[in-house]
Amino acid sequence: MTSDTPALELRGLRKDFGRPAVDHLNLTVRRGELYALLGPNGAGKTTTLRMVTGLLAPDAGHIDVLGVDMARDPAGAKRRMAYLPDDPMLYGKLKPTEYLEFVAGLWGLRAEEAEARGRHLLDWLDLSRHAHELTEGFSRGMKQKLALAGALIHEPELLILDEPLTGLDAAAARQVKDLLLSHVAKGGTVILTTHILEVAERLAQRIGIIRQGRLIAEGTLAELRERTLGGSLEDVFLQLTEQA
Amino acid sequence: MNAAPGSIRWLLGHELRLAWYGATRAGSGGKKRFGTSGIVILTLGWLLLHGLAFIMLRAVGGAHLRDPLMSILAGGVLLVCATFMLSGGLKACVTALFERGDLDLLLSSPLPSRSIFAVRLMGVVVTTALSFVYLFSPFANVAVFFGQPGWLAIYPAVIALAALGACGAMLLTLALVRVLGARRTRVVGQVVAAIAGALLFLTMQAYNFVSHGSGRAATEQTMHKLAQYGVFAPTSALWLPGRAALGEALPLLGLAALALAACVLTVGLTHRFFVHGLQQAAGMGRAAPRPAGSLRFRFRSSLFDTVVVKEWRLIARDPHLISQVLLQMIYLVPLLFLILRDSSAAGPAVGVALTLLCSSLTGGLAWIVISAEDAPDLLCGAPVAMRTIRLAKLAAATMPPLMLIALPLLWLVVRAPLIGILAAFTVTGAVLGAGLIVLWVGRPAPRSNFKTRGKENGLCTALEMVNTIGWGGSAWCLMALTGQGSNWLPLAAAATLALALGNLLLAWLLRRSPG
Repeated sequence: MTSDTPALELRGLRKDFGRPAVDHLNLTVRRGELYALLGPNGAGKTTTLRMVTGLLAPDAGHIDVLGVDMARDPAGAKRRMAYLPDDPMLYGKLKPTEYLEFVAGLWGLRAEEAEARGRHLLDWLDLSRHAHELTEGFSRGMKQKLALAGALIHEPELLILDEPLTGLDAAAARQVKDLLLSHVAKGGTVILTTHILEVAERLAQRIGIIRQGRLIAEGTLAELRERTLGGSLEDVFLQLTEQA
Repeated sequence: MNAAPGSIRWLLGHELRLAWYGATRAGSGGKKRFGTSGIVILTLGWLLLHGLAFIMLRAVGGAHLRDPLMSILAGGVLLVCATFMLSGGLKACVTALFERGDLDLLLSSPLPSRSIFAVRLMGVVVTTALSFVYLFSPFANVAVFFGQPGWLAIYPAVIALAALGACGAMLLTLALVRVLGARRTRVVGQVVAAIAGALLFLTMQAYNFVSHGSGRAATEQTMHKLAQYGVFAPTSALWLPGRAALGEALPLLGLAALALAACVLTVGLTHRFFVHGLQQAAGMGRAAPRPAGSLRFRFRSSLFDTVVVKEWRLIARDPHLISQVLLQMIYLVPLLFLILRDSSAAGPAVGVALTLLCSSLTGGLAWIVISAEDAPDLLCGAPVAMRTIRLAKLAAATMPPLMLIALPLLWLVVRAPLIGILAAFTVTGAVLGAGLIVLWVGRPAPRSNFKTRGKENGLCTALEMVNTIGWGGSAWCLMALTGQGSNWLPLAAAATLALALGNLLLAWLLRRSPG
């Protein structure tokens, strides 16, 4: 794998649920960039991400994660990425430390490195004081932060987040945004979906807009503005999705 | 006439409607409710109970219905029912306080909190009393036909007893909140409710141990023996509920007055604490934060261990499962007595019982561990072989029943080696069979559907049932073979074993794709 190898490459990706949810989608995300995948409700964003992370089998097409073919070596691809869905994948009856022990076990981390990372993440996300509580009593923001800690414990190169800021208060949202920027600054790649267009406008280096399972526009915010009458990302988004 | 909105009658109507919806909910996620057919079945059942009551009262004979010993019998039955009422009341209080989630709305309305608490308590009384009125009313109605109109007092006596049970349950729940906090009360309440319900079983078993014989003569003999002790004498206050139920005016008035006083005092003295309990429930799960730096991780070296430990933690923290396991252990107690008393004579019965219990316990555990996985996407998204995870889950579900049963089995092996080894064989077969069936044909479901799991996956339930019957039958036939040489027993043993193994093969053929 060279440094030119994209973090994610989708070719002719298709998934049908009676009607096409993802329709021959071609998409390339470069390494070290923060890519925002936007689209109206039901556009196929979550379906795409679930196929990329191996949670859903595509009907057709190819998925390469950091040069690893998802169909041929799913474990190899999964080992290098993390997925954070909008509904955190937690166990209400586990404590944060126990949850991180479990996730570290799934990714096969050695105890020494997992412990150091677990401590750092819980401290950094301000969850250490709640490490002895069951997560079922956590607020939405605390759950999201713990899920994020789980996603980061194996230091993934590619971080995929579906609506990561839903339900977070301002402080927690700021913390998550800083984390994403820091991940990219260290050479990692982030793909996120969001309905909060200001977040994509502020954070994303490139933006892809999908509608009815197809990529209808892609580029930097400036490039997208050139294709439309300009304005904020919200104006651009509405023009593009209504045109299509 | 419709009650005025906001009045106690109106609120009680709302409470009873919710209780009715709760009682008639069935099927997937509790969304389906039984309709006319359910009501027809209930009515038919009630009419059949009248037939049963007629047969029983005729067998006892009109003259015996006036026998003072009858009030001891009625009192004993009502005392046992009182434990069930306390158990049902505890469940209802835990639901009212922690699970229903409508009290924030009610308490934020202009209605006085005392009225809300009173109505909620009345709701608990009605739901607690209903099933017992359903069960005992046929006896009251049929007794009139036998010239015993006094037995109609069964209605008020049962309702009064239910009111006492509900008040006791509410006070116990609130006391537990005060001592243990809201979070632990929820767990303890559910466990205590389950154990209180199992008391009837233990009482019956205790009766079996103290009596040496069967039938009416043995019953009368036991009752006469009990009557010799002061506390159990026919004049004892212990039997007052029984005398009230059979129509004695003073005990009935006393019981009704006691129930009314209990309700008034419970509402009057504890409604403030009820509100406090709710406030605790609202903050449930938020223990006081501890200082950072006391973090302790225990990472495991293998994925298998990691999954097993995680599943056991979830099992140990699931109040429904804890109640079920405790219940199974209570059911084991009389079996242990049998094993200790005469292991070889009781062999087939003990073997069958151990096999049935382990099979059903494994089915419940396997459902929680395999079907009710909270984060399936986390497992699918991990770079591991699903086969390893599924094997670890199977081990996590099957090991606890085997460990639970290991000591009694070992004792049985020491006392009667062949019977013990055969019991170990059928128990292991039943446990593995139940686990594999859920692994192969179980369907994902939310953990909260634990109680209704049987209705949601008919195929899995049927296969589990056949597994239990097959291995239970094998246990009986194989152990009976050690004691006698009937010609048909080897054939029956082979047939039941074939049923169990064929059932497992069918489950494998019908297995679902793990994804």
